[in-house]
Amino acid sequence: MIRLTVLAAAIGIGIAVPYVLGAYMVSVLTLGLIYALYAMSIDLMGGYGGLITLGQGGILAAGSYGVGYVASRAAGGTGRQLLYGLLATLILSAVFGVMAMRTSQVYFLMVTLAQGMIVWGFVTRSTALGAENGLRGIARPAAFSAYWKYYYLCLAIVAVSGLLMGVITRSPLGLSLRALKDSETRLRMLGYNLALTKFYVFVLSGFFAGVAGMLLAYYTNFVSPANAAFATSGRGVLMVILGGVGTLFGPVIGAFLIMLAENILSAYLARWTTVLGLVFVLTIMFAPGGLVGAGRRVWRRMRRTGGSPGPTQTDPLEQTRPPAPSAAETSAGLSGGPTSKQT
Amino acid sequence: MTVQFLLVQTLNALSFAALLFFLASGFTLIFGLMRIVNLAHGAFYLVGGYVALTTIAATGNFWLGLLAAPLAVAIAGLLTERVLLRRIRGQELPEVLLTVGVAFIFADMALEIWGGDPRSIELPAFLQGGMDLGFATFPRYRVLVMVAAIAVGVMLFVLHSRTRYGAIVRAGVDDREMIAALGVNIDRVFAGVFVFGSLLAGLAGVIGGGMLSLLPGADTEILLYSLAVVIIGGLGSLPGAVIGSLIVGFADAFGRALAPELSYFTLFAPMALILVLRPHGLLGGR
Repeated sequence: MIRLTVLAAAIGIGIAVPYVLGAYMVSVLTLGLIYALYAMSIDLMGGYGGLITLGQGGILAAGSYGVGYVASRAAGGTGRQLLYGLLATLILSAVFGVMAMRTSQVYFLMVTLAQGMIVWGFVTRSTALGAENGLRGIARPAAFSAYWKYYYLCLAIVAVSGLLMGVITRSPLGLSLRALKDSETRLRMLGYNLALTKFYVFVLSGFFAGVAGMLLAYYTNFVSPANAAFATSGRGVLMVILGGVGTLFGPVIGAFLIMLAENILSAYLARWTTVLGLVFVLTIMFAPGGLVGAGRRVWRRMRRTGGSPGPTQTDPLEQTRPPAPSAAETSAGLSGGPTSKQT
Repeated sequence: MTVQFLLVQTLNALSFAALLFFLASGFTLIFGLMRIVNLAHGAFYLVGGYVALTTIAATGNFWLGLLAAPLAVAIAGLLTERVLLRRIRGQELPEVLLTVGVAFIFADMALEIWGGDPRSIELPAFLQGGMDLGFATFPRYRVLVMVAAIAVGVMLFVLHSRTRYGAIVRAGVDDREMIAALGVNIDRVFAGVFVFGSLLAGLAGVIGGGMLSLLPGADTEILLYSLAVVIIGGLGSLPGAVIGSLIVGFADAFGRALAPELSYFTLFAPMALILVLRPHGLLGGR
């Protein structure tokens, strides 16, 4: 119930934005929407399956470059641009999915990181894709060229994608993905094909990242290797962690916060990447559940104690908590649960 | 394709493999014991190279640079481990992601201090120039790097398999509760290994700074090579690091010479093959 209210409120605010804010803010928020979709695609795999990818930038770039190649090299129309963007995304996701599907946890993270950087290396060297200069002259479809129309297009696509991802996490596939996070061994014993589950989710997650990449290409009107860079992949993961892993809504908040901060603060801060690094470190150390996790804890405590924190009624999560970040919090947050404790 | 071409490319491959071994051995030692994939390893490499560059430019002494860089990076490693990683120990993914944040910070600070232009370390006269090998002349520096890698490799193996310190680390890999119960301060061992691994990354920075150029982005590029090495060789295994370095070194040298535009695919192909056939690498356990 609360969830639906929040969702309806968010969409309502989203629709109202262009009536209230100026062109600049609307276009910053458009970027926020695109990155929200990108962050949700990372969370789909990372939050629910414990498969955190550090190479999603590579898949995002596949979508961007697919659109960009047709637009600037082949002079094709919007239909063909979208087709190539989707094809590039799906082919790359399938190949990378096959590579990564038998790994988990830290190995998965390493493999995806290497994949993302190989895409980056490829696009920086490929003359057909404009090498370091990237591809220019990607025009938005005529119906959406005005900034506010493009904003509404992004809002609609991101909202629908978010709902679809919500449905996926509640589907049988999503449930086996959650089980996979809790215990791979148990799931394997029950006869599930883990590799195949991971493969499906990898491709689905890649699809949403590719859509974000296509929206981004039309937003900026060009693509550059920076789309595939380690910084893009890392920033996506940061959005997920900052908002709250495994919540889908958290990454949206994380994406908006980071994109707003980047566009507003980076005018005053020369060393923006350092700030991102610090946010990364501080979130992991002090708020492993992200902003949504912290918010939930406060909410629960307030409800239980009727607004004032009483001494006798403590949160069970807090009680089982050893001095260091606890097992209870771990299984709710980033780590993969019991399997990760193997030595 | 002549015999000479093959021989020269083989030497290129071996010398690049030597550089990769310095990086990957530290990387793999840290993972073997602590289960931490230190993604700041590339940034540590870059900072090591830059510290050596500045030291050599200020003092004119190559050896001081070779000493200062590993020390500086070891201190960075010590701080990272004691201040940050120790507090979230035992949670694999948060630990790895934390090192991503550390990598961001170090790389950005390096950009602030040393700027964005490619730079390389000024080598002393006796390391410059070529060496006549009969079939071709080959940079003397690269030959010495290979010799140094073999020396350090042998030293690491002896340290790991013949000394008490090596025994403690190996025992810690197998069962850290047991070794702690036997009265070894495993916490200190962890710090020691992390610092030692960082020291190797700093050393690799000096070596790489004389061979390749130092610039923003070199950190993630060298990290990619190290990842390829350990993915192929198997994470946590020293012999795996040797084999992985050789495979990546050869794939890269011949890829660059034969198909420059596709050079990253020469990394991609062996990695994809290994991952499909043996997901934990050639010599990886688990």
